[in-house]
Amino acid sequence: MQKDEVTKFILDALSTMNYDVSEVSPDSPLGPSGLDLESLSVAEIAIQIEDTYGVRFEEDEMESLALLTISGLVDEVVKRASAAATAAHSG
Amino acid sequence: MSPTAARHGATVTGLGTFTSLGRGAAEMFDALCSGKSGLTTPPAAHLLSGTLDVAGIAPDLDPAEVLPPGERMVDRYALMALAAAADAVADSGLTIGSDVDPTRVAVVLSSGAGGLTTYEEQAHARRDRGPTAVSPYLLPGMLPNMAAARVAIKYGIRGWSSAMATACSAGAHAVVEAARLIRHGEADVVICGGAEAPLNPTSALAFKHARALAHGWEDPTAASRPFDTGRNGFVLAEGAGVLVVERTDVADARGAAGYADLLGWGVSTDAYKPTAPRPDGEGAVQSMRSALACGGLAPDDIGYVNAHGTATKLGDIAEARAVRTVFGTDGGPAVSGTKSMTGHLLGGAGAVEAAVCALALSTGRLPPTHNLQDVAPDCELDHVRGAARPSGTEAVLSNSFAFGGHNVSLLLGRAHTRSKRGR
Repeated sequence: MQKDEVTKFILDALSTMNYDVSEVSPDSPLGPSGLDLESLSVAEIAIQIEDTYGVRFEEDEMESLALLTISGLVDEVVKRASAAATAAHSG
Repeated sequence: MSPTAARHGATVTGLGTFTSLGRGAAEMFDALCSGKSGLTTPPAAHLLSGTLDVAGIAPDLDPAEVLPPGERMVDRYALMALAAAADAVADSGLTIGSDVDPTRVAVVLSSGAGGLTTYEEQAHARRDRGPTAVSPYLLPGMLPNMAAARVAIKYGIRGWSSAMATACSAGAHAVVEAARLIRHGEADVVICGGAEAPLNPTSALAFKHARALAHGWEDPTAASRPFDTGRNGFVLAEGAGVLVVERTDVADARGAAGYADLLGWGVSTDAYKPTAPRPDGEGAVQSMRSALACGGLAPDDIGYVNAHGTATKLGDIAEARAVRTVFGTDGGPAVSGTKSMTGHLLGGAGAVEAAVCALALSTGRLPPTHNLQDVAPDCELDHVRGAARPSGTEAVLSNSFAFGGHNVSLLLGRAHTRSKRGR
């Protein structure tokens, strides 16, 4: 899975959710100092990522997700997706 | 009157309405007094085109006009409530935070059903695009308390807040709550009212299939005809009505002018059928008598009743019977049904009609019942029809009756503050 692809997916989803992503960079925080996503927006983006990439974010992770940057979230998605793939192979 | 009642007077100092007759309470009242109907055939681009022949459609409203940037999926019922609230607050001249402590301000805004159009859109999105299409924003977008919550957020209101969900009495119920909060010293200012946005196909079809809606009228402005022999149901409408209600001495102290005082209220329950009223109108009799008792007035003191008057066969007869029971058959109050021109705003209706009553008191004009050409035999009352009627009355009643058998009567009187816009 390419990081660029995940980044594009996330930016497209944020754009659909009416967030202005024109000035967003990989270092932009999701939280108050950056995109300032509300908790419901974090939840909404999480469910779309889960559905597309087959990863899972637990309920108690929502707050920590909001503290990530865009690239931090992308890394997290890629890491979990490859872990899931490895688990599937070894299973 | 009970010895514990009447601690503080309550005065209506601001009005905002957003209806098929446009934005602005004074403008709506002028239209009502000149017998102008807001009812139209839904245009081709409207969700209801092809589903209903006639509806009360309020003006377009850009969410950016009433919401901070970035808010999403906020249902039209809440947008209309925000617009009416903004107008009512501006009209009152009140600045929350400087004129009044925000913890002494309350907001009570009702809706019969909340944001069903938004819910329907999300149900379709789920069907068409799968489970992930359902946004968590559906919740703050549609919940029936969110009009109250968003008004509180916008104005920094920190006192009591609530939302009543008593169907077609919900708007009037909010005004009752306001009067109680003021009277009992729990708030100095209450922003109260109701809003409804039922103009989506599923809601419309439910009312249509209940055989509740007017039908078969080529001219949409002829469809809503309370108390008329030819009536055959109500016209579904959207909109909002909001009143700013202040403790009378607090309003006086800041030099505010009032449209009317809230003198009392009566609430009763039919305990009969989910939708049909008691045929003898006993629930309505009880709510009107309770309102009079609450305000310490006699039937003779009432010069005008704004009827619930939806133009259903059974409802109009039960209400007319109830009015005759309370006021007698001779020399009773003038009566009109303004749903003949606004349509039925469901949870918004009682608040819009409370505004109509406040303006009737402050202007000395009683709006007519539109389309009342041939009074039905069981509906005989002193109907205002043909044209507005001048009136020097000191006190009026507004009735709201609902599915579920919730009956609310509001008692309003001439303002004890200096009067606002006595035109």
